Amino acid sequence: MQLTVGDKFTEKFIVSPVVYEGFISIFKDKNPLHTDESFAMGHGFKGLVMHGNILNGFLSFFIGECLPGKNVIIHSQEIQYKNPVYLNDELLLTAEVTGIYESVGVVEFKFNFKNSDALMVAKGKIQIGLLK
Amino acid sequence: MEKQDILKTVNAVFIDTLDNEDIVLSYDTTANDVEDWDSLNHIQLVVAIEKQFKIRFTSHEIQSWKNVGEMIDCIQTKV
Repeated sequence: MQLTVGDKFTEKFIVSPVVYEGFISIFKDKNPLHTDESFAMGHGFKGLVMHGNILNGFLSFFIGECLPGKNVIIHSQEIQYKNPVYLNDELLLTAEVTGIYESVGVVEFKFNFKNSDALMVAKGKIQIGLLK
Repeated sequence: MEKQDILKTVNAVFIDTLDNEDIVLSYDTTANDVEDWDSLNHIQLVVAIEKQFKIRFTSHEIQSWKNVGEMIDCIQTKV
């Protein structure tokens, strides 16, 4: 896989009802922040707050399916949640290559997610390995 | 850069990367001597050392090291 420091990738995602309900179905996190609109709004949010780890699922898809090669494995990732994500939000993931370590087959990215108002909702770093 | 200074810096990288304050490296130290210095952590150690010294190794160089001393010799040729 040919990558260069500074390479940028973008991918759009929608936090659809299928994604939201699927996440709850699989992981059983029914905290009222995610499932009780009156509870969420009572704490100052506009509606149900989507699980932050849904974004990690999007990152998994990005690394596994969107890079110019399938020989990848995630070594580590850090994510900071900056603003809430709501049901049906459209998110734009932007990831930039920040480091390439050919000796050990490692590539590092920084990334962010922005919603349709261009508000950053999360950012972080991912380190991947290139499988031989 | 003197080898002793490189060793000191590499030791600090090991402590930080492996999260083990008790690590004391010498030129003769091998992976067998350091708890958690396995193949996956070796990748993280190499990346951290490349960042620390702002250098890049080749895979051939890495595979040739038999101990910390040889790693330090390699670093010294690049800094």
